[in-house]
Amino acid sequence: MQITKLREPLLSSHRSPARFAVSLAFTLGIALFAGVASADEVPTGELVYKQKCAACHGAKGEGATDKYPQPLVGDRSVGELTEYVSKTMPEDKPGTCVGEEARLVSQFIHDSFYSPTAQARNKPARIELSRLTVRQYRNVVADLIGTFRDTGKLDKQSGLRGEYFKSRRADGKDRAIERIDSVVAFDFQDKSPDTEKLEPHEFSIKWEGAVFAPETGEYEFQVRTNQATRLWINDLNQPLVDAYVKSGSDTEHRGAIFLIGGRTYALRLEFSKAKQGVDDKKAKEKPPAPASIFLEWKRPHRATEVIPARNLSTSKPSLWCVVSTPFPPDDRSLGWEKATSISKEWDQATTDAAIEVATYVVAHLDKLSGTKRDAADRVSRLQDFCRRFAERAFRRPLDDDTKQLFIDRQFSEATDPEAAVKRVVLLVLKSPRFLYREVGGSVESSNNPYDVASRMAFGLWDSMPDQPLLNAAAKGELATRAQVVSHAERMLADPRTHSKLSDFLLRWLKVDHVPDVAKDTERFPEFNAVLANDLRTSLELFLNEVLSSESADFRQLLLANSLPLNGRLAKFYGVDLPEDAPFQSVPLDSNERAGVLSHPYLMAGFAYTATSSPIHRGVFIARSVLGRTLRPPPEAVTPLAADLRPDLTTRDRVALQTKPESCQSCHAMINPLGFTLEHFDAVGRFRKEELGKPIVASGAYRTRHGDTVQFNGVRDLANFLANSPETHAAFVEQLFHALIKQPIRAYGSQTKDSLRQTFVQENFNIRKLLVEIIATSALTPVESKPQTASAQ
Amino acid sequence: MTQTSRRDFLRDLGLSAAALPFVLNLPSLGFANQQARKQRLVIMFSPNGVVPNTFWPEEEGEDFKLKESLSPLEPFKNKLLTLHGVCDKVRGDGDSHMRGIGCLLTGTELFPGNIQGGSDTPAGWSSGISIDQEIKNYLQADASRRTRFGSLEFGVMVPDRADTWTRMSYSGANKPITPIDDPYQMFSKLYGRMKDQESLKSILDELQGDLKKVASVVNAQDRQLLEEQTNFVRELEQELKATSTEGLNHTVPELEPGIKEDNDNMPKLSKLNIDLMVNSFANDFARVVTLQYTNSVGGAKMRWLGVDEGHHELSHNPDTDEKSQDKLTRINKWYADQMAYLAQRLSETPEPGGQGSLLDNTLIVWTNELGKGNSHTLDNIPFVLLGNGLDFQMGRALKYKKTAHNRLLMSLAHGFGHRIERFGNPDFCGDGPLLNLT
Repeated sequence: MQITKLREPLLSSHRSPARFAVSLAFTLGIALFAGVASADEVPTGELVYKQKCAACHGAKGEGATDKYPQPLVGDRSVGELTEYVSKTMPEDKPGTCVGEEARLVSQFIHDSFYSPTAQARNKPARIELSRLTVRQYRNVVADLIGTFRDTGKLDKQSGLRGEYFKSRRADGKDRAIERIDSVVAFDFQDKSPDTEKLEPHEFSIKWEGAVFAPETGEYEFQVRTNQATRLWINDLNQPLVDAYVKSGSDTEHRGAIFLIGGRTYALRLEFSKAKQGVDDKKAKEKPPAPASIFLEWKRPHRATEVIPARNLSTSKPSLWCVVSTPFPPDDRSLGWEKATSISKEWDQATTDAAIEVATYVVAHLDKLSGTKRDAADRVSRLQDFCRRFAERAFRRPLDDDTKQLFIDRQFSEATDPEAAVKRVVLLVLKSPRFLYREVGGSVESSNNPYDVASRMAFGLWDSMPDQPLLNAAAKGELATRAQVVSHAERMLADPRTHSKLSDFLLRWLKVDHVPDVAKDTERFPEFNAVLANDLRTSLELFLNEVLSSESADFRQLLLANSLPLNGRLAKFYGVDLPEDAPFQSVPLDSNERAGVLSHPYLMAGFAYTATSSPIHRGVFIARSVLGRTLRPPPEAVTPLAADLRPDLTTRDRVALQTKPESCQSCHAMINPLGFTLEHFDAVGRFRKEELGKPIVASGAYRTRHGDTVQFNGVRDLANFLANSPETHAAFVEQLFHALIKQPIRAYGSQTKDSLRQTFVQENFNIRKLLVEIIATSALTPVESKPQTASAQ
Repeated sequence: MTQTSRRDFLRDLGLSAAALPFVLNLPSLGFANQQARKQRLVIMFSPNGVVPNTFWPEEEGEDFKLKESLSPLEPFKNKLLTLHGVCDKVRGDGDSHMRGIGCLLTGTELFPGNIQGGSDTPAGWSSGISIDQEIKNYLQADASRRTRFGSLEFGVMVPDRADTWTRMSYSGANKPITPIDDPYQMFSKLYGRMKDQESLKSILDELQGDLKKVASVVNAQDRQLLEEQTNFVRELEQELKATSTEGLNHTVPELEPGIKEDNDNMPKLSKLNIDLMVNSFANDFARVVTLQYTNSVGGAKMRWLGVDEGHHELSHNPDTDEKSQDKLTRINKWYADQMAYLAQRLSETPEPGGQGSLLDNTLIVWTNELGKGNSHTLDNIPFVLLGNGLDFQMGRALKYKKTAHNRLLMSLAHGFGHRIERFGNPDFCGDGPLLNLT
């Protein structure tokens, strides 16, 4: 066995799939004891504050000039504050605000303006200086280096080009067959793949094409064969798997490679059935040996499978420079990558990555710069390359000073031209002009056309502007909404847009980190890792179907009554398909199923190993779909185990445990939403009863306007959600944040609502919403230029 | 300094955990490992057997004469040990050439496989670890002997294909190690990161200037972020300054640029490799090194010696073909020249922080896949040892009676204090390490 490990896993601190359910349960668990008052009640702490504190500290803790001018801000806990207040406050009568009263007022102060989170909440939203996110960094480097290479040729034909040869070496004169193979999964046994054209004793095959990597992470490629094989991915000069020598009983050959999601990578696979080394003249006198070959992969956090035809194509993609330096993960506490802070670890990662890229550039310098080692004009060619490299990295032309600093000076100081190139790359990739999404604009105009181009490219692709965008910027053709819209529409067709959108939807569904959906093997013996892997695929195919459809109708995500299933899934979920059927869209009973809401992958994910979890499901609907805030309260609780009350249905058990008043402030919303999905068990199968009792799937929701809506079952729920302005607004807001990575409020108080209205008018077309978000944000000027007085 | 781990030392220095991986990437580990004696081993390989008549000394014991093939080693005669009668007894799959290289340092059989030789059954990779890697693992397991790389695998004109004939060193069963036969690639493995640090250092001033300039055109609220980055850049500068004082024992070697991997450049490539090797010993990058000339069945054309035929082709010619035997003698003499150059470089390089020269603490073992080319015998495998690294009693010509080479491999380990009771196939480990060496 050969394992080539090219890099360590990207972010070891990403929570493991196994912890998905646990961490969700924890969050929810603590929600059960929500001691936080809901917004409707009048907190008495506020009254206390008004009566006893506001005179000195100001109505909102801002301070009063003559008495106590400092604002009330800090990082003490509520407990510490309570103690402090009890002992020292009010200053003229210490000891008169104690006990419960001190606790209430401290809680109020803490939550309203004192704590760091309260301070952040109270700050007016603005567009903040943001660095590249980790994903953006990797994309920009890949695309930046990519601009110096042929663009490659992408092809819609799925599968790989296969050439079959009569001899053990893939030699053109011995070519006997050319064909497209949709997947590589062949057991030839001791026979020839084509008895007319090839001998069974000796033949070889070369497959060429490309593989599409859906997500970023470490991929493990595996070739299973009893013959000689080699596999190349991305870099066609360096095999990822080299099992040309077959030795011992090894038949599984693996190599791991880190790939950026949403891109297509070159692939070549060679297979040779024969003795290698010295020609064995007598080989044909012996009976032919068995031969088989399977090309498989293990996507990040997924099960090993034959690489499906939909991920293979006959494309000839460009070679990508993939930065594999690990970066600390971005802050996603708000649900989107907020990149407005940096750390020592991040700075170190940018240094390591700059060295990685500089080394790569120098190693590929002749090809990238279009010059040769002994060329007479080598130095000027390299200078020119460096200038273009800096311009593209900074996403704008260089002015004279910048060129002087970044290019000329490096060439004059370095000992040789290669060393100069290395210095330029290091300096460029460490410069804030590269590392931040938008800093290098001219002072005069805050809507510099190059900034607009960058905003659009980062918004739709998480990458740098392409040449058409830069050309438009140069000509000043990114100044009007119509111009921006027209480019945004062009950019939609790029696979990077699709990749970004797919990632967003997985995040919206809270399955961006692949959850562990392993189930109780006694209760669900047929639900195994292969089936779980199929389910994930089914979900991804479903999302893809909706996104790629003509109408790209958001509501279909919630309403569709068909589901992509293959033979294995069909059998498990009781649908009639041949056992080996490939994935296909299967219409189901529309009363039983509704889009993602009842997708068995989500139902299994939002469940325990043996029983469903109405709480997980309810929280998902409340938070993701309806955009409700559920505050994380201070105490954890273990869910009531099913076997402690074997007489109760899941619904009754959950109702019993969350009955206390303190739970109900949140669970009054969560439970009735989750209960509507009780028809789906822990593996997402439809059921009519539990413990011999009929399923009760009635539920309700109290809207933000205070109306109570009743539903029964998933179809009712889906119809309500698909038409609810709350759902639409939540989707608009989350998509905006995922694309732009700035608070939507910073773009004006009306932006969210006007985007929602456009979304409705455009029949909920997600692609049109993308364009609208880009048009709205790209032309919003950033208040980024300092007052002269404040410049230091 | 008492024996503390590198990590302890850094902690004492107050370097944060975040800075740790960065500092650890620096060229030398050189802290805890500088106290004890630094023993080293070089295993040098050349292919296609030797001409026994012109190779082996007739005499036995301390009073012996070097014949033509070994004549370049005359200046080091009192540090030399020739071992006649040591045989590779490993059989099994693969032809003699394949087993010759594949079992030479592993002492165990090849796996069955798909590589067909000129005769015998096809085979795959070796089924066990090689002695150089065994010793490396032993050294690396102990902080007092640990070095940055542990071992380095050099090559000269090794063909660009991975098969049984081109691999000698194994980190385990089915895990052949690719020797690096491009001296520039080896250079960047050894010194690349240091060069990177230099480049990095050279841009930091300009980077700070750029940060300042950019900070002047952003909003005051955003400027804080850039100031934070400026601080990190300053810290980086401090760290680079602090670590550069560690220094290297020897300066980075200057390589003659642009030597292409080409048959006729073999002498230059050999010299570059040996120079890099001596330098990496002086900087204590590794204690175990292999140096593989071409490959089993290697066909170098030593035109610079007036030999126009390929080595392997020549080696098949019969003993009666005197011209060929003379050419083969010249070829082996050239390899002895390389060994002499290595010995000379080691002898004139003082042992850093210790007594004597590098050669006093290094043992060079020159060996071959076959005893003799035209018979393909695995008996009397050439083993010529030079240097005092393992405290063998040098200055002798020894003769053994058909003794399995596994016992010699064990002796090498024992010379490092790694007292293994068997190595490779236990059937050939008989009475333990070779008698008479120390």
